[in-house]
Amino acid sequence: MLSRAAERVYWTGRYLERAENAARIVQQYSQLLLDLPDEVGVGWLELVRIVGAMDEFRASGKPDTETGVLEFLLAENDGSTSLAYSLRMARENIRNTRDLLPHEAWENVNELYQETRRSLGPAAIGEDRFEVLAECIGECQKISGILTGTVSHHSPYHFLTLGQSIERADMTSRIIEVAAAYIQHNERLVRRYGSSLWTNVLKSVSAFQMYRQYCQRQVQGIRVIDFLLCDRALPRSIAFCVDSARSSCAALPRGETTSAALDDVDRLLQPIPAEQVQAADVTALMDTVQLRLGDVHGAVAATWFLHEDGA
Amino acid sequence: MVINMRLGPNTYSAGGFYDELIDQDGTARPHAARLADYFSAMRPDELVARQRAVDKTIVDMGISFTIYSEGDNIDRAWPLDIIPRAMPGDEWNRIEAGLVQRVRALNLFIDDLYNDRRILKDKIVPAEIIDSSRNYLQPCMGVSPRHGVWANICGSDLVRGGDGTVYVLEDNLRVPSGVSYMLENRNVIKRVFPGLFQDHRVRPVSEYPTSLSAMLQSIAPPDASGEKPEIVVLTPGIYNSAYFEHSYLARTMGVELVEGGDLVVGDDDCVYMRSIEGLTRVDTIYRRIDDVFLDPEVFRPDSMLGVPGLMRAWRAGNVSLANAPGSGVADDKVVYSYVPDIIRYYLQEDAIIPNVPTWRCSDPTHLDHVLAKLPELVVKPANESGGYGMLVGPHATRREHEQFRELLKENPRNYIAQPTLDLSTAPTLCDESLEPRHLDLRPFILQGDSVAVTAGGLTRVAMRKGSLVVNSSQGGGSKDTWIVEVGH
Repeated sequence: MLSRAAERVYWTGRYLERAENAARIVQQYSQLLLDLPDEVGVGWLELVRIVGAMDEFRASGKPDTETGVLEFLLAENDGSTSLAYSLRMARENIRNTRDLLPHEAWENVNELYQETRRSLGPAAIGEDRFEVLAECIGECQKISGILTGTVSHHSPYHFLTLGQSIERADMTSRIIEVAAAYIQHNERLVRRYGSSLWTNVLKSVSAFQMYRQYCQRQVQGIRVIDFLLCDRALPRSIAFCVDSARSSCAALPRGETTSAALDDVDRLLQPIPAEQVQAADVTALMDTVQLRLGDVHGAVAATWFLHEDGA
Repeated sequence: MVINMRLGPNTYSAGGFYDELIDQDGTARPHAARLADYFSAMRPDELVARQRAVDKTIVDMGISFTIYSEGDNIDRAWPLDIIPRAMPGDEWNRIEAGLVQRVRALNLFIDDLYNDRRILKDKIVPAEIIDSSRNYLQPCMGVSPRHGVWANICGSDLVRGGDGTVYVLEDNLRVPSGVSYMLENRNVIKRVFPGLFQDHRVRPVSEYPTSLSAMLQSIAPPDASGEKPEIVVLTPGIYNSAYFEHSYLARTMGVELVEGGDLVVGDDDCVYMRSIEGLTRVDTIYRRIDDVFLDPEVFRPDSMLGVPGLMRAWRAGNVSLANAPGSGVADDKVVYSYVPDIIRYYLQEDAIIPNVPTWRCSDPTHLDHVLAKLPELVVKPANESGGYGMLVGPHATRREHEQFRELLKENPRNYIAQPTLDLSTAPTLCDESLEPRHLDLRPFILQGDSVAVTAGGLTRVAMRKGSLVVNSSQGGGSKDTWIVEVGH
């Protein structure tokens, strides 16, 4: 398989996942702010910090308001953070690898891109935000379904999986950060609203039912974080993403460096001791997880993408 | 309005042109008799329904071509008429022999031009014609590719005139395209008309990808890496109008489709492909990008499509390029006019397929004739393709005649002129009725260690009434082309 094709398939996986996660995280955060009384002081800017785009946001000159932040995170603009941008890049990458991926995947990505070009701008300010985001999440899931249901488990599939897993692990760590923000901002409030807030976190990654079935009846903050971090059976947990990236690595030639980088991520995935949990510790841990995931991406690129300077 | 739906006596008339299926008195030619019967038995609505089935199959199979328009690329479904164009097998045998002869001679000619220049010294072809050709590339001097063959893939355009004679209209020796549509046309017609093939013995075309792959293997450098040479198809990318074909050929041969950025020339002057296994040696490149974009170190420095150092690797014999750079020197239309002499010079044979009579404007007596008879002639620039920059005398205005007179006097070397041919026609479904439409034929000839010719080729049809323009970018259509064994 050509390096260029591998790279494009990998980024198709990443951008599709990034688009879905952008929709999820905005939805979750909107819900959160509806639940919290204003005096808590959790603002929209926090969301920009969580997705790691503060510098770009400042450069965009958009205001710190709900509309400003949502236009930045959803609609097509000059930046490379928005949901619309992710879909455009997913489309560009899949368009260039149409020979390797099923035709229906291209058609659906193209349709979604065309549709969201119309809907995301108004959604950033309008009343139908939840509807548009839910639609977008559903379409992304449909495309993932087409890909998992039809792509043979050879190299293209494994690059798709690598991209998807790395992106998903990264975003789950950011969603855990949002959760940590609850604790950080108001412990009294968490005691009062706690279980509904954590339920909201679980729902944002479609993990509420699985938590109730396999973890415990009661929704408890620390257990939710552990579940999203370490549960090896939950498809959106970081541990699960690391496992699936690792098995794709093993199926590809010369995967050793990337596997080692994934092991480094895995070592960070330990249950958090309940008695002494501090929001800052969780945030610091997630920052480290994100850095190590960045190293995994670096290993993938250096091993397989063979750019001009690396060749 | 009278609608002529039926083929056969007194219904379909080619209006004085030579028709491929129906003769002057309205009866089907022997090789087309069963074909005519088959379509004559269909009602108008059935014909239209079949055309819709063909169109839908083409969309479902994703057979498209790309046109560039208003800053955007549009994929258009490939246009295919339901009625095949048939030629008798014995006639084709002669044409095939003529094409083999022609390509052999042209390759001997190109090899001579870049090495001994015997034919120029013997004054068969004037040296100034060659030395002034912009497709005569200095960096190719002294190179002799494997088997001495430069143009490994040739697409010669054939036309039939009013008296039934088949002529070569031009030779395409650079990056001829269209073969994938020839293959897909057959696949579509087979799907939509399975019964039609049971009544006929039609020569198959499906072995082309195998022949192409065998040819590309046969020209790999003798020390090719491993047992099986690594072949790739080099494309300018998805925005190219022929990308469908590039991808189709790579897929059917089972080789990688690469872009310039996928290849790198090492310090050892060998070509490597960046793959997930690491750098992999490449032996033969079927390149679908033009000469001047091949290597920014040698030709256009701004080329983003090519591979720096590729010419170095090719000159060192470490990689084979099909077609070899510089092959285009022989599809200059002035050179074309010498092809019968070229065949005689190298093969001591007369050309089996004649050229269209051609006046060279570089010759003062020819130029005088052309200037006098301009309204009756077709004038073509020597080095353009796709039907651009030409003048069709009878269809042009007086002002255009004047403009061309000036152009010819300014730069006579750059032009040739030919009589306006009465191109042959074939019945074509146009708005619910069968009407004659003009067509040509592009067979594909492969030469490596041996020569292979497609059975038939790609028939292109001018869909507008009376038009002679068959290019798909300008509203042309196509037909499945049948070489039919007669007497079986």
